[in-house]
Amino acid sequence: MTANSLVHSKLVCVALNDKAQLAALDATFHQDPYKKPPTQPVLYYKPRNTWSQEGAEVEWARDFDGNPVAAMVVGASLGVVIGKTTCRVSPQEALSHVGGYTVVADYSLPEQNYYRPDIKGKCLDTSAPVGPKIIPAAEIANPDALSISITVNGSVKSVFKLSQMQRSVAELISIISSIMTLQPGEVIAVGFAGNRVPVAKGDKVAASIEGIGTLTNTLGGA
Amino acid sequence: MRHARIIFEGRELDVDIDAQDRITTQNGEQLDVALDSDLITWLPPVKEPGTIFALGINYADHATELAFEPPKEPLVFIKHANTLTGHKQVSYRPDGIEYQHYECELVAVIGKTGKNIKRENALDYVAGYTVCNDFAIRDYLENYYRPNLRVKSRDSLLPMGPWIVDTADIPDANALKLTTTVNGKLTQDGNTKDMIFDVPYVIEYLSKIMTLNPGDMICTGTPHGIVDCQPGDTIVCSIENVCSLETRMVSEQEYYGDKY
Repeated sequence: MTANSLVHSKLVCVALNDKAQLAALDATFHQDPYKKPPTQPVLYYKPRNTWSQEGAEVEWARDFDGNPVAAMVVGASLGVVIGKTTCRVSPQEALSHVGGYTVVADYSLPEQNYYRPDIKGKCLDTSAPVGPKIIPAAEIANPDALSISITVNGSVKSVFKLSQMQRSVAELISIISSIMTLQPGEVIAVGFAGNRVPVAKGDKVAASIEGIGTLTNTLGGA
Repeated sequence: MRHARIIFEGRELDVDIDAQDRITTQNGEQLDVALDSDLITWLPPVKEPGTIFALGINYADHATELAFEPPKEPLVFIKHANTLTGHKQVSYRPDGIEYQHYECELVAVIGKTGKNIKRENALDYVAGYTVCNDFAIRDYLENYYRPNLRVKSRDSLLPMGPWIVDTADIPDANALKLTTTVNGKLTQDGNTKDMIFDVPYVIEYLSKIMTLNPGDMICTGTPHGIVDCQPGDTIVCSIENVCSLETRMVSEQEYYGDKY
């Protein structure tokens, strides 16, 4: 738990919000255990032990025998920072509840299935850096027009246009706020490229959104 | 000793409750009020709620009831403070659903930071125990990160309290009678001895993955005996020697009022 985290009280992440990923997994999602594709946003929490910040080292995870895990991956998302109490808002009014935008990185074990909450994969200490700062919402005319890239040791590994999201920022705020009342400072990571980027011990990873900033972190364990 | 958070005569107070049911504030002031008085408003008992871990199908008989194989490792999901509400408060039933049920559960409240905690030392990290009602709306289940947030993470769906009992006062957390009544009728009658993964096991398991911190909570699952609950119902979840938690169900409209 990092005292300086920009996150207040809650970090909600949206999985499976990349149209291309949903299309690629469509056949899988018609089989057991899924039986049919999701009809609602697929949400997970990064709990407070995961919260971290710009420049911080991300711990290399260990398995249940205490040995370093074989593989980790990273995804990056636009982070929507709630600006005021948000309860059951419509998509039309949703963006007026945004205080600002930032970058969220989600380090995890590789995503192997989506059936059960992925506590072992997603809840690793220091695995959710958020930052480097919060850009006021007024400076971002259309969050769905942004694009997010991940570079590892200086080479570009992933570019994701938010226009490729299954659900827009406003739709997600509306749907999530009808499940739970959102409070100022809570953050929603609205969507990640379906192909998470493999990382190795010691890698320097930069997640970047033009106009929002670049979040840089280094993997531990080297 | 028991510990609670209440509002009394307009003041929000952290209080201790002794074996004679006397209520004392942190300043040593003894309150002139009975424990069951309606003059007390009960708040969720953990002052700074952290991560709430909840276990699914952690009683073998409940697994059978839901037609599941008992899990081979804990099925854990996470909830946050928006779900919490106190004793004698309300929870809401969404419009247009078929099946919302209570889940009476023993809660272990973490009192000390720890990672890689051994099972035999696990109770050193538990500040105390309380009771929660981990409501679920089965209509909303989907097979993605199941039980998904829409089922389990709604506002008001985790009544908790009324108080936390010190760990030392519960010599064996796996020998406690657990019951639920709906409108006074007994609907759930179990015992924490039937848990598949007990509190020390779950603390060892979770702390291999991540650091546990004070204010984190572990809701340990519910046994057989769940029934649908409707607006107007009063649900009382009780665990022997810990506490009894009363919740009144309301409609979505009554709960959200102007925001409905």
